[in-house]
Amino acid sequence: MSTSYVGIDVPDPALQKATRLGMVVDQDRCIGCWSCAVACKEQQDVGIGLYWLRVLTVGGDAMDVPAGTFPALTMSYQSTNCFHCDNPPCVKACPTQATYKMPNGIVNVNYDRCIGCRYCMVACPYDNRVFNWRAPVQEPPASVTVVGETPARPKGVVEKCTFCVQRTSDGLLPRCVVACPTGARVFGDLDDPNSKVSILLRDRPSYVVFPERGTKPSLHYLIRQGPNTVGGAL
Amino acid sequence: MSTVTTDSTLAAPARGSRTMTVWIGVLIALILIGFAVWIYQMIHGLQITHMRDNVIWGVYIITFMFFVGLSAGGLIVASAGRLFNVERFTPIVRLAVVEATVTIATAALLIIPDLGHAGRIYNLFFHPHWLSPMIWDLTVILVYLVLSLLYLWLYMRRDLAARGSWMALGTKDTSDKARAHDHHLTYTLAWIALPAAVLVHSITAWIFGLQISRGFWYSAIMPPLFISSALVSGLALVTILAFIVRRSGRVSFGDELGGFLGGLLAVFLAVEAFLVLCEVLAGYYPGIPTDAVHQLFTGRYAPGFGVEIVVGLVIPFVLMARAALRRQPRFVVTASVLALIGIFVHRANLIVIGLGKDPITLPPGTPLGTPQANGSSFATSSVYFPSVWEFLVVLGIVGLSALLFTLAIKYLPLKEKSPT
Repeated sequence: MSTSYVGIDVPDPALQKATRLGMVVDQDRCIGCWSCAVACKEQQDVGIGLYWLRVLTVGGDAMDVPAGTFPALTMSYQSTNCFHCDNPPCVKACPTQATYKMPNGIVNVNYDRCIGCRYCMVACPYDNRVFNWRAPVQEPPASVTVVGETPARPKGVVEKCTFCVQRTSDGLLPRCVVACPTGARVFGDLDDPNSKVSILLRDRPSYVVFPERGTKPSLHYLIRQGPNTVGGAL
Repeated sequence: MSTVTTDSTLAAPARGSRTMTVWIGVLIALILIGFAVWIYQMIHGLQITHMRDNVIWGVYIITFMFFVGLSAGGLIVASAGRLFNVERFTPIVRLAVVEATVTIATAALLIIPDLGHAGRIYNLFFHPHWLSPMIWDLTVILVYLVLSLLYLWLYMRRDLAARGSWMALGTKDTSDKARAHDHHLTYTLAWIALPAAVLVHSITAWIFGLQISRGFWYSAIMPPLFISSALVSGLALVTILAFIVRRSGRVSFGDELGGFLGGLLAVFLAVEAFLVLCEVLAGYYPGIPTDAVHQLFTGRYAPGFGVEIVVGLVIPFVLMARAALRRQPRFVVTASVLALIGIFVHRANLIVIGLGKDPITLPPGTPLGTPQANGSSFATSSVYFPSVWEFLVVLGIVGLSALLFTLAIKYLPLKEKSPT
């Protein structure tokens, strides 16, 4: 049983019945604070140097730097974790079936099966998988955060976002969704037309990354519609 | 006649045996050092390499591809020679099959240090995923290894029986009739060995060429390009080895065979150059500045591409295109060495450029897996050069390959008698 956050974690039976779990990230709401990334590291005991979730800047050539010349500046954030593709190239590539697609749409990793060949990382067009080049180092140690929810990973295996499989199988939201201070991350069943994610995707223009590669990602970005230039905002 | 081979094996020149002792000693030292470094890597993880999450594969995989190519090229040349009855090949056909067998075994070994969790390698056999090109490759390499061992044994078993070696495995008949029978069997097996050699390297190419995630690799030209690289490097290595082994008297052929091999090398080099042109032009022509193909001409890897073209293709081709130079063994060997270097650099370029350019270039980029000296854990691109440890592991395995080859030359009957 997962640790529950009182007042926030309310089990939702719909998540347990889902056939295609997916996520929608609202670029109008995302402020690029990395709370999701930090919560993810804590929840999943991700080692130093590894990230299951990172917040990419769509704009200039460095983090948090907009594109353009003042006042016509544009910037948005593309917070990125595993896209849990419907046609996952990593699952095809894995020679030992260590990475696999679950019936609810989650692409999961069996850390006891992985031989560390890193072919899945080669196959992923999104760089969403990370490798334990050394025995994972946690700071603060895993023992002072959430204990025992995530299987420990040895050195030499690949890991990545699992949509917090331990929490979602209990009907709880992934930790990054809970942690987001602006409600930019929305989670639900893409196959359910009445789920919040499906409604948002119907109502708002959205995109997925590299649609031409046919991977069919389950993580969609709602395109920024608000004033996107400083001049416009002022 | 069969006693002649026994004599040539036993009567090694005294001066040569001392060199041989030193050579074998050096190889054993390399093997032990490489093995120790591999143990060190098992303890500390792959962090001792310079591979990271943005350059996922390095010199282990580059050398793996290179050795699969050496093997496929050697066996294609040997079996095509047998299949089309190119009698001129006969003196070195066994040598070529030995080369193919030793290099494929080496290639299989080179995968092991690349694995993060090598102790679980049995999962490849217990839980194979048949959609993965890596499983296709494992299967074909194992089949191919058995096939080339069988092929080698068929070539030699009558000679082994004649000298009473246990390696004859019960074969006793050394009559001319039995030899003629085996000669026919090698012809039959050549029909299987040739396509198998083509397949083994095509599947290695598909490990890369089927991945839509890497634009530099995702191309239908990968298998033909790999085969042509294999032909160049395999023929070059067989040529070099043939001239080295000839000095010990364990194979004998005239310089005109060198000329023939040199001419063949020139043809293979021309095909390789053509396929490289096809690949580069198709990437370059649309003029997409972010395409990885541009890294061949500008940036850190550009000198490598220069070496690949000038040292690996142009110079050996110019040398071997001239009949006067082809007749001189030193030029044939020089051209072969240059071609080998060129193909190795070609394969290194393929890996580091194919992986080094991140699919997602948005800042801050890809988490690297370990904190970097500048305090960041991210990078949008990266360059790769192997660490000393990686070099030592590779040297150890290549040393083992050289030792196997040395022993094979020492103990196997390499002289092929033309059936008359």
